[in-house]
Order: sequence, then structure tokens, then C-alpha cells
Amino acid sequence: MTNTDGYEEHDIVVQLTDVRKDFGDYAALDGVSLEIGAGESVAVMGPSGSGKSTLLNMVSGLDRPTSGSVLVGGEDLVGLSEKGLALFRRRRIGMIFQFFNLLDDLPALDNIALAGQLVGQKASTARKRASELMGELGIADRKDIHPASLSGGERQRVATARALMNRPALLLADEPTGALDSRSGDQVMQLLMDLNGLGQTLLIVTHDPRLAAQCARRVVEVADGRIARDRSVNHAVATKAAR
Amino acid sequence: MSAVWRASRAAVKRRRLQTFVLGVVVLVSSAMAVATLGLLAAVSGPFDQAYSAARGAHVVAEFDSSKATAAQIVHAANAPEVEAVAGPYPEAVLHSPSETGDHPAGLPGSFTLVGRDRPDTPVDTLVLSAGRWATGPGEIVMNEPSYIGPMQIKSEHEVVTPDGVRLKIVGYAASASQSAGGWVTPDQARALHSASLQMMYRFRDAGSDAALKAGTAAATQGLPSDALTGTSTYLAIKANLAKGPNTYVPFLTVFGVLGLIVSVLIVGNVVSGAVVSGFRHIGVLKALGFTPNQVTAVYLVMVTFPAVIGCALGSVIGSLVGGKLVRQAFFGIFGSDLVLDRAAVPTWVHPVVLIGMPVLVALSALIPAMRARRLPAAVAISAGSVQQTGRGPMVQRRLGGSRLPRPVSLGLGWPFARPGRTALTLSTVVLGVMTVTMALGISASVVRFGQLQNQTDRIQVRIDLSDPQWNPPGPTHSDDQVFALLRSLPGTAHVSAQSALETRMTGSSAILRVGVESGDTAQLHPDLVRGRWIEGPNEVVVSSEFWHRHKVSLGDTITLDSSDGPQPQKIVGEIVGGWDVTTLDWHRFIPLSPVRRAQSFSVQLTKGTDPQAYAAAVARTDPGLNAAVNNASDTIEKVIISVVSTLTVMLIIVSGLGVFNTVVLNTRERRKDLGMLKSIGMTPRQVIAMVVTSVAALGAVGGIVGAPLGILAHRIIIPMTGRGTGLDLPDSLLHVWNWPTVALLAFSGSVIAVLGAYLPARGAAKAPVAEVLRTE
Repeated sequence: MTNTDGYEEHDIVVQLTDVRKDFGDYAALDGVSLEIGAGESVAVMGPSGSGKSTLLNMVSGLDRPTSGSVLVGGEDLVGLSEKGLALFRRRRIGMIFQFFNLLDDLPALDNIALAGQLVGQKASTARKRASELMGELGIADRKDIHPASLSGGERQRVATARALMNRPALLLADEPTGALDSRSGDQVMQLLMDLNGLGQTLLIVTHDPRLAAQCARRVVEVADGRIARDRSVNHAVATKAAR
Repeated sequence: MSAVWRASRAAVKRRRLQTFVLGVVVLVSSAMAVATLGLLAAVSGPFDQAYSAARGAHVVAEFDSSKATAAQIVHAANAPEVEAVAGPYPEAVLHSPSETGDHPAGLPGSFTLVGRDRPDTPVDTLVLSAGRWATGPGEIVMNEPSYIGPMQIKSEHEVVTPDGVRLKIVGYAASASQSAGGWVTPDQARALHSASLQMMYRFRDAGSDAALKAGTAAATQGLPSDALTGTSTYLAIKANLAKGPNTYVPFLTVFGVLGLIVSVLIVGNVVSGAVVSGFRHIGVLKALGFTPNQVTAVYLVMVTFPAVIGCALGSVIGSLVGGKLVRQAFFGIFGSDLVLDRAAVPTWVHPVVLIGMPVLVALSALIPAMRARRLPAAVAISAGSVQQTGRGPMVQRRLGGSRLPRPVSLGLGWPFARPGRTALTLSTVVLGVMTVTMALGISASVVRFGQLQNQTDRIQVRIDLSDPQWNPPGPTHSDDQVFALLRSLPGTAHVSAQSALETRMTGSSAILRVGVESGDTAQLHPDLVRGRWIEGPNEVVVSSEFWHRHKVSLGDTITLDSSDGPQPQKIVGEIVGGWDVTTLDWHRFIPLSPVRRAQSFSVQLTKGTDPQAYAAAVARTDPGLNAAVNNASDTIEKVIISVVSTLTVMLIIVSGLGVFNTVVLNTRERRKDLGMLKSIGMTPRQVIAMVVTSVAALGAVGGIVGAPLGILAHRIIIPMTGRGTGLDLPDSLLHVWNWPTVALLAFSGSVIAVLGAYLPARGAAKAPVAEVLRTE
């Protein structure tokens, strides 16, 4: 199977090798090594302060490791400049946040199109693609609505559409259901599952065992800055257990 | 420590950068306020104090002793309007007196001698700076301004009258009322053919010309109508001295007011920004039990703290700069020795500024702080941040569809999200551009004024003749020979000669400075404000200062003392500066001049002649001819330009800080948006472009609005300065603008905005985003 960015199923999309991140005397990540293949759906779980968000920041290029190497889509993030990291984020990844992070003064359509315009697409081209994505994610009728007037689930769908705008190799989701009611959360979970079903590589950071069970085929448990456990998930069993 | 103080201190610590900006802005404004108020006070304060201490005469009157007796004059002065009198004293006028001894200071062509028996009179009290009072025949006390320095009594120093009477100088004193050139005993004055009596008055009401006229009328009632031959008032002396500070007051006032407005705008912006971004904080304060008044107080104290520190430092700086400026303002003005010792920023200015500025800051903060007061706690806590309102979304939608790069179109939309803040920032930029424009205009006008004064456009070489008394042997050529010599040199187009003397005008006891010219004056005369240049005998042009002081008109006749008696002269024109009166009657007036010949020559060169080489050629022919290229610029010109430049830089900094503050507020409020944009691939350069664009557009608008306002302010200030200094300035001083300059000035708004925005934009581009994206 070929995913959205032309990766074969067993290509390595993310490769972290002995990554360490210190904040002063405190080691948020302590020698983490991790590989994620194309088309995989991986959930990173762990208690607060375990280092899972720092791990996500390393993969997304929002932060740099103190030591170790981070390769995403074949690019070594450690060697990239700030501009290089920005271009990497533009082309290689899409991000979904717990609190959506939409621009309040743009309508839903323009929030999505923005990501396309940043890579140089014309406004009309970007809006056309954004409109298609909104249709695919079931929010086609919310194009002109501003974020303040959207429900939580709708906002997260808009954020997801924005993340998919440039056909990223890797979709990163940071507690994507954390700020949603259960019904909206279910919708977002289904959306992520559908995307993964289409070959989209997923890396989800979550506290929610239900989300991990439903959306991930692999769960990486982090504790004290180290990977405590890395296991595959049997979907049928896991989903039942999570319920 | 009270809860309000603790919360305010925490707020100050949280907003260190804005606190610093606020402190700097208040510092600059306070310094300008102190300097401006100091100069405003200097217009009259030092003179009033000094004149009052010297019991200076409000009116010095001259009576024809053949028409009124001393007893009649004293009797008439017994009027309720009169507070005190001194006199009447016999007065004599010496024409062309001379001096003996080394290095004489030079006597005026018409020298007024007053016979006075004592110095400590109730009006025009004199203090001897050297020697003693004249007590017998053949003795004289000279009126010497104190700035000349300590005088020494030497036996060989004498004044010799035209009749050969020798008067030994026995003392020196200075008259605040400028009542005489020297004093002798009354008997000596009568012996010198005194024909008039001098009477000095102080009136109960002396606040205006009208009051002085009324007082004089009351004090001379009952005297024969033609007995009073002349008067001079202290207001003329005061107006002459006020010229100094009045040169600076108009533009300093405008700069000061602009500084205050910018400060108020920035304070309002800082506090409203703090309130808007601190809704949750306000909610927490209220939930903790802070009363609405205490919440208001937290915000007021937050801004008053840096304001007080900025104000204190600004007052010190303003006092130092202002004090220097006040002293500089009086420098070189006739009679300034009276006020130089008292020329300082008065004490009352400091409490006014130290209290006024923080109060002004607190008042500016009050409106936004009241918003915090009114906000219900629950609403504040739940609000977190303020939703975007106004036309922002609509504008962003349109910009999103434009062909502009997305960071640029996003930045262009920012100002519409916060219209209030945008208006305040725009006003700051407008005032900044207005200041730059005005400053440029003032500087250009001052330079042009200097060119007019020095005639650098038509006179390329000036030749001063050495005074043989000071630099013997002096020129070897006579005036006619110098004319012939200069005309024979290659490159000479036109030549004129000048000399100056002091004489009297009938109807006034004040000394008049007369310029006498000859040669090609038709080609080399200064620009006229009105009327025409002298074309015939008994015609004069007068200075603007003379024009206003004596309220004359074209065609009026004035009578000057000349070598062959009083001479009526018709006023045919007015020039900006120069001598009180300029005449071409060389042979009639030159005998009254101290050197009795030309003091300088002016030369216009033919095109292509090197002035430096020409001056050198002149000097080679006669060592007594000091030739120099005419490119002089006045000290006052340099001072004004440096003061204007300094103030402009300060106001640009303040204006830039206003923009800086707005961008800091915007980027802090939008840190989450910025984080998200970076997370989806906005590069640091694009972030900078977006943030800078958000104010560059405001800067462009500010420039387009500010430049014409600056031109307007320039058109108001220059004539105001002219009026303040008693000059009618020609229109050419206002015509200093051209389109490229105006276009550049309009562009300066964008420059101010970009300079103010760049640092916070760079900070926003570098700020870590991981944390901010995870918090709500």
C-alpha cells in the first residue's frame, strides 16, 4: 500500500536514536529510540511529566534534542536551521492539537487553506483543496463559519483538515480528544481511524486508553523519559477492553 | 504591604518590558516639559526679578527744560498712579565724544550724560561695580554692563567732550533702565549745556503699554503739552531680552505638547493592553475579594510606578538641558547681563512636572482601568482572552483571497482586530512623522534665515578692517582706496562698505544702532520684508525689531541725531535683521561712528571666482584687511538645529516605542496563533514579515497623514517664532518643501513603524512554541 506521501508500508517514517532532552538538570527524554513505519498508527501514552509531549515535539521539530538523532521522512531534524525546520513542518507533517489552535479571525475554510497558501499555493487553489477536505471530513456546510461559532468536534475536524492540507507523511495528534465531549471525541477517533485506514501514518499522544485502543495499532508507553513498553494492539481485544 | 501594592508590584514584574517603555516615554516627556516650562518662565521671570530688584524705571521721560521746570515736573508726578520717582536730573547729549587711555571700549556717536547726585535713588537704583560715585566737576561714572567683566579705574581713562572738557572716569555702574551712557554731578551736566531733564517713574500698574501710557499721562498732567520730548519704557527692554527665549519657546512648546500627547497615547495603550490581556487575572483578583476600586488601583499603581521614576529622572535631565538652554537663549542679547545670573529653570517647574506627569499618566490609565473595574468576576475568569470583534474577520477574509503572500495578508489584517489599539498606534506614528516633518522644516527655515542674515547667496567675501586701537597699525588704505583696490581685483562684481554707530532718535531716550552703507548697495542690500531699498537722501530702511518696537509704517519720518544736527529720515523699507536703522548718508553719519570710517566691506564675486583665493589676494594687498569667505552660520542657528534634532530623535524614539509597545501587546496576545502558524510551517522570516507588515501599513497611513500636519505646524511655528522675536519673516522661509522631500517624509511613517516593530517581531519569530500550543 502507498500512503499519502508516496511511502511504502514498511518504509521508516520516524526514526529516533538515543534521543535525550534536558531541561536544566531534569531529563525529559533519556535515551529514547523509536521507529515508526509508513502507514502505522502509534499511540504514545504515559502519565503527566513522563516525556510524551517532549517526544512529540522532537518528532515535529518544534524542539531540538540535547543529544541523539531524529530522522523524519528521511530528514535529519537535528541538522536543520529554524527555517529548515519550518519548511520540514510545512511539507512533511500535519499537527492536531488538544485546543485546536485555529485563527479566530479566519473562517473555517481559510483556516484550512492557510496551510496550502504557506507553501505557495494560490488562494483559489488552496481554497478548492480546503473545500474538498471539508467535504471529506463532513463539515462542508461550515466553510464560512468562524471558529468561535463551531462546536468542539467541528473545530477539531477543521484542525485535522488543515493538518492534511499538504498531504503530510506523518500526522501528529496531541491529545486530539482531550478538550471534546464524548460524542465529539468519538467522531474524531473515527476520523483518525479512517485516515489511517487510507494509509496515513499517525502518531498520537494521549492519556485516553480508549483513543489509543481504537486508533492505534501500536502503543508506546513512556515513563520517566524512557520507553517503558512498546506493544502491538490487537484491535478487537483492545477495543473491548477499553470499553 | 497592602494587597493592592503587592498585586501592582506583581503586575509591574510581569510586564517589565512595558514598564521600561513607559518609564522611558515619561522620562523623555518630563525632560521636555521641564525644559519648555523653564524657557517659558525665562521669557519674563528673570527680567521681572532683576528689574524689580534694581528698582528699574517703568518709564524714563525726557523733558525740555525750557518748557517745564524741575519743580513743575515733581509736582505733576504727585499722582496716585505713580509709585515712585527719581529725578528730574539735568541731561546733556555729547555728539562724537572721544576717550583717552589704552583699549577704550568705544563711545556711541550720541552719548547721553545725566547729572545725578547719588546712585541709590528710589527708581533705577545703581550699584557701583568699581570706583566711586561722581562728586565733583570733571568726574564721570560710566554705564558698563557687567558682562564686560570687572573694570579697573585708571587715572588716564577720560571722556573728552567735543568742546574739549575732560571727564575723569571715577566709577562704573550698570543701569537696568538703560537710563544714560554715564553720570556726572548735576552741576557738571548743566555746565555741559544740558537742555533737558530726565525723570524716571515706577507706576502702580505697569503691566502693559496702555497702562504705561496712562501712567505717564497722569504723571505729566498739567505740564505744557510740548514739554515731554521723549519716553522709553521698560517693556521695550523686556521685549528685547525676551527675543532670546522666544526664539525657542514656540517650537519647544509644540515639541513638548507632542511629547505629552504621545505619552498619554502610549500609557492608554499599555493599560488597555494590560486589561485586555489580563481578563483572567482581573477575574482572579475579584474572586479573591479585591473591590472594584482596588482593581482600578492595581492598574493605576502599575503605571504610576514607572511614571514616577521616569518623571524624576526626566526632571533632572530636563533641568540640566533646560538650564543650559535658558542661559544660551540670552547669550549675546543687548542688556542680557541683567538676567544672565538669574537665567535658570525656576524651582516651581519641578514640583509642577513631578506631580503633573504622574497625574497625567494616571488619568490616561483611568479609562482602561475603569473597564477592569466594571468587569464581572465570573465573566473575566471565563473569558480567558477577548474574542476577535469588529471588522477583523471580514477584512481577513478579503485579504485571504488576495494575491499577496499569506504572511503579508495576515499581517495586514491585524490592525482591524483591535481598532482602538490601532487608532492609538496610528496616532503615535502620525505624531512621530509630524515631528520629523516639522523639525526638518524648522531646520531648513533656520538655515535659510541664516543665509538671509549673512546674505551668503549674494556676498561671497567679507572684509573686516582692523581697528588700529586694538590691532595697530590698522589698514594702510583709506576707504576710497579700499574701494578702488577691491574693484581692481579680478573676479569682483560688486562692492559695498559698512559702518555702524550708536545715536539717538528724537522722541526716545533709548540708544539707536545705525548702520551706514555705501557702494553697490542696490545689488548687495538684504532682502526686504516690505517697501523698497533706499534710492535717495534722507531715506532709511529699518529692522523688523525697530518696526514693531516703535510701531512705525512705510512713509513715516523719524529724526536722527547726526553730525550736523537732527535729521528727518523717511522710512522706505523694512528688513529682517541688521541694525535698527540703515542709511546711505555716509558723510553725515560716519563722523558719529567710533572709527569714523568703514568697518567692513562686502564683495560679490563673478561666477567661477574662487572666494578663498580672492580673500587671500585681498589679505596680501593690505594686512589690515581681514578678508574671509562669507559662509558664517550663527551660533543660535546651530543651537536651534541641534535642539530641534535632539528633540526629534527623542520623539522618534518615543513614537517608535509606541509602535514597539503595540507590537509587543499584539504578539503576546497572539502567541498561540503565532505558535500554530509556526507549527504548520511559517518560517521565522515569514513571522517577522507578518508582524512588521501589521504596523508598516499603519506607518504608511501615519506618514501620509503626519507629513501634511508637520508642514502645517511648520507654517504656524515659524511666523510665531518671528513674532516672538519681533521679526517679520519673509515668506521664503516657509517655502522649504519640495515633492521628493514630502514623499520621503510620508515614507518616514513606515520607517518609524518598522523600526519599532522589528525587535518584537524578531522575538516572536524566535519564541519557542511547543509550550504555548498545549495550553489554553
